[in-house]
Amino acid sequence: MNIEKLFKTAKDKGIEDIQVYVSNSTNLSIQIFEGEVDKYEIADSSSLIVKGIFKSKMGVYSTEVMDDEMIDEIVDTIIASATIIDSLDDAIIYGGDDHYEKVEGLYNEELTNLDVAKKISTLKEMDKAYHNYDKRVKNVETSYTETTNSFMLQNSKGLKLYNKANASFIVSEVIVNDGSDQRVGFDVKITNDFEDYKIDEMVKETTEEALQSLGAQPLPSKNYEIVFGNIAFATLFSAFQGIFSAMNVQKGLSLLKDKLNQTIGSELINVVDDPLMKKSASSRSFDDEGVATKFKYLIEKGVLKTYLHNLVTAKKDGVKSTGNGFGNGIAAVNMKIEAGETPFEEMIKSVKEGVYITNVQGAHAGANAISGDFSLQAAGFHIVDGKMADPVALITVAGNFIEMLKNVVMVGNETKMTYYGITSPAVKIESMPVSGK
Amino acid sequence: MLLEKKLIENLLNIGLSRGADFAEVFVEGTDSAMLQSLSGRLEKVNNNKLFGVGIRLAKKFQTVYGYTNSKNPEDLLKLAEDLSKSFNDENLTKRTPLMELEVGKRHGVKIKPSEVTLEQKVSLIKKAYKAASEYDEAIKQVVIYLNDVAQEVLIANSEGRFVTETRVRVRMMISSVAVKEGIMQTGVSGPGSGKGYEYLFDEIDIVEQAREASKMAITMLNAEECPSGVIPVVIHNGFGGVIFHEACGHPLEATSVAKNASVFCGKMGQKVASDIVTAIDDGTIENRWGSANYDDEGYPQQRRVLIEKGILKSYMIDKINGRRMNSEPTGSSRRQSYKFAPTSRMSNTYIDNGESTFEEIIAATEYGLFAKKLGGGSVNPGNGDFNFAVGEGYMIRNGKIAEPVRGASLVGNGGNILYKIDMIANNLDSARGMCGSVSGSIPADVGQPTLRVTDITVGGKRGA
Repeated sequence: MNIEKLFKTAKDKGIEDIQVYVSNSTNLSIQIFEGEVDKYEIADSSSLIVKGIFKSKMGVYSTEVMDDEMIDEIVDTIIASATIIDSLDDAIIYGGDDHYEKVEGLYNEELTNLDVAKKISTLKEMDKAYHNYDKRVKNVETSYTETTNSFMLQNSKGLKLYNKANASFIVSEVIVNDGSDQRVGFDVKITNDFEDYKIDEMVKETTEEALQSLGAQPLPSKNYEIVFGNIAFATLFSAFQGIFSAMNVQKGLSLLKDKLNQTIGSELINVVDDPLMKKSASSRSFDDEGVATKFKYLIEKGVLKTYLHNLVTAKKDGVKSTGNGFGNGIAAVNMKIEAGETPFEEMIKSVKEGVYITNVQGAHAGANAISGDFSLQAAGFHIVDGKMADPVALITVAGNFIEMLKNVVMVGNETKMTYYGITSPAVKIESMPVSGK
Repeated sequence: MLLEKKLIENLLNIGLSRGADFAEVFVEGTDSAMLQSLSGRLEKVNNNKLFGVGIRLAKKFQTVYGYTNSKNPEDLLKLAEDLSKSFNDENLTKRTPLMELEVGKRHGVKIKPSEVTLEQKVSLIKKAYKAASEYDEAIKQVVIYLNDVAQEVLIANSEGRFVTETRVRVRMMISSVAVKEGIMQTGVSGPGSGKGYEYLFDEIDIVEQAREASKMAITMLNAEECPSGVIPVVIHNGFGGVIFHEACGHPLEATSVAKNASVFCGKMGQKVASDIVTAIDDGTIENRWGSANYDDEGYPQQRRVLIEKGILKSYMIDKINGRRMNSEPTGSSRRQSYKFAPTSRMSNTYIDNGESTFEEIIAATEYGLFAKKLGGGSVNPGNGDFNFAVGEGYMIRNGKIAEPVRGASLVGNGGNILYKIDMIANNLDSARGMCGSVSGSIPADVGQPTLRVTDITVGGKRGA
């Protein structure tokens, strides 16, 4: 589409300011099953999102049809939408910041150029390694996905920004069965550097965890000391990340309302949003509104330091946007719970009777982001007298997010970036109700 | 026509040119609108237009898929060419000439989304807002989404299949937030249909639906924390069917069965549930949320009896997994959009009526949980473990529904919960859901009568 023509038509019809977000993405996906390529996908798609301000309100139109013939329909629909919107929020299109950090390594050309045959053979090796690892391995599925995203943001205030990133991930799922029980191991590794895939390590870790969980049983219902593994804690945290959004706070939909600068967690808890984090495909120097992103503490030593803002919420609170205006709302770029000081072994050793939770399920349904209450299916291992004991499954762990943050008694000294986009250490909670048998 | 027939034929020919034994072209043009209102004010109106073409080639079990949103014949021909290069076999499969299939266009729509003005949509939202917000003074916030979708598809394959249809759906999601003494609880109501706006304007009482959401929020505000333990649970009709959808429906999809990754593998004709359980997946129900004339491989949708009186009768099978399973497809192949290769998915899935009444089930339960409204959940198809949240629950004491409880979740295993169903009522009802899986997020209906599970793990904040 001819953007100049779109801008001119918009102006002629009375649109005050206009912004386009043009994106293109290409995808490659390969799946191996029983040693052979089972599925292979290639894709190329583009889309255009147009935002326009008419009589101080914002209309939005997104389309994958980008012929110039669409211009009138886009502009007319934006005007009609803006006319009927009666939100009290101001619509803002941003003129830009003086300085934008440069994020290194977002696009790695070597990954795109690496021969597909190499990607396929790596997956096949992985499939084989799983099958050879143990005779209890019954079923393996591995896949490789690679995406390249580029986009351009341009508006009538003269701002023009560009971003290009690529990422790949290997997902593997292994089913183990010992004749009396069947368990599933699952792993995702994300990177844009193919050298980061250490196939043998990934196979070992995923299969071992599945094998060790064979024969898992529920525990008796009562309160236990809880150690959350990195992935489990990140999963739980991801269900509540919306509470940091100033939009939810202002609309009365966050439990963090009126909590700014108050203690909401143990002083061991530090949570940051690090938009320029290395090795994350999500890293960005500007948000979807064109605001420069920045590193900030959300929770520092247990105290809530800031909400996440876009232009509209920031204006309402009389602050500057934190550069978190993404998509239709507000989101963190790379949320990270900072590492503490306790080695994992020490954490386990400190537990008299508890549960080491390796994964939680149902976070999208069993967690109430407004009340903070959650009750999630969990699995892991029983801990008795400081030692890892029998595998545990089909239990639920319940609590309230804020109460839980206050009851954090140890934070692990190693973090892991998870596929939820959240980086987390292992965390020990003093006590939580577990429901089992 | 979304794409010229001549071009489609060319794409199929090129698809088969290097030894693939199956080629398919899926073309989609979708218009959708989403209106969002907060506290009665219209905050957002988002219009969205999708267009794209997905080309799928297969040889035996191996599939390749590609998509683009270019309409340009050169780009499409190149995509077909690139995909065809995955195969290398001199034995070529001959294409059958396209034959347009007409199974009778059912699921007609009276008021298409394109015929409804923004003003009409907004006045519907305001009506719902008024009813929800005035229900009780503790209702502090009402969020309403109104969503309509019109998806036009064209599906053609190398076996001569050629179908077109337009699928319309509308839905309003009402979410009420109640606040008292620093405690917040939400209640939801989400009427929707595979009809046009006649459903929301004329056929349902939107005021009643809105009040229902607020009533749930207020009830939960005054609820106690749910105790935990292993107890009998009475799961109410309608959205309660999500239990079957998650715990049994997903493992019955060929997606997991074909790869030997389901607890139901090799169980055909065997007993998998208690004798009173009959379960059906039916994509043909007139204008239902998960219905369509054709599945996304162009096969007519069907009614599939999955379990009959406790015996496993059918899986849900798509074409390629059907090859692995040596079975015919069951018209079950679905996808969110051209951005996904299709695979076996549910449509409208429900447990059929039993012989008890709702009152009898409650009266027969000395102590237990009445799960009136369930939230979402998930299942691990590998071992059948599932979980789901209880949005609105009550304790049952001495055969009567007692105090409301909140924060409960149900945890169990799909392989054995079906054996534990000991009473089924005669009040079958259904509810709308969006189901996410490998081929994207699709509208799926869930349903069941009120039924009782003899024992299930209930997780709650209050200890046992």
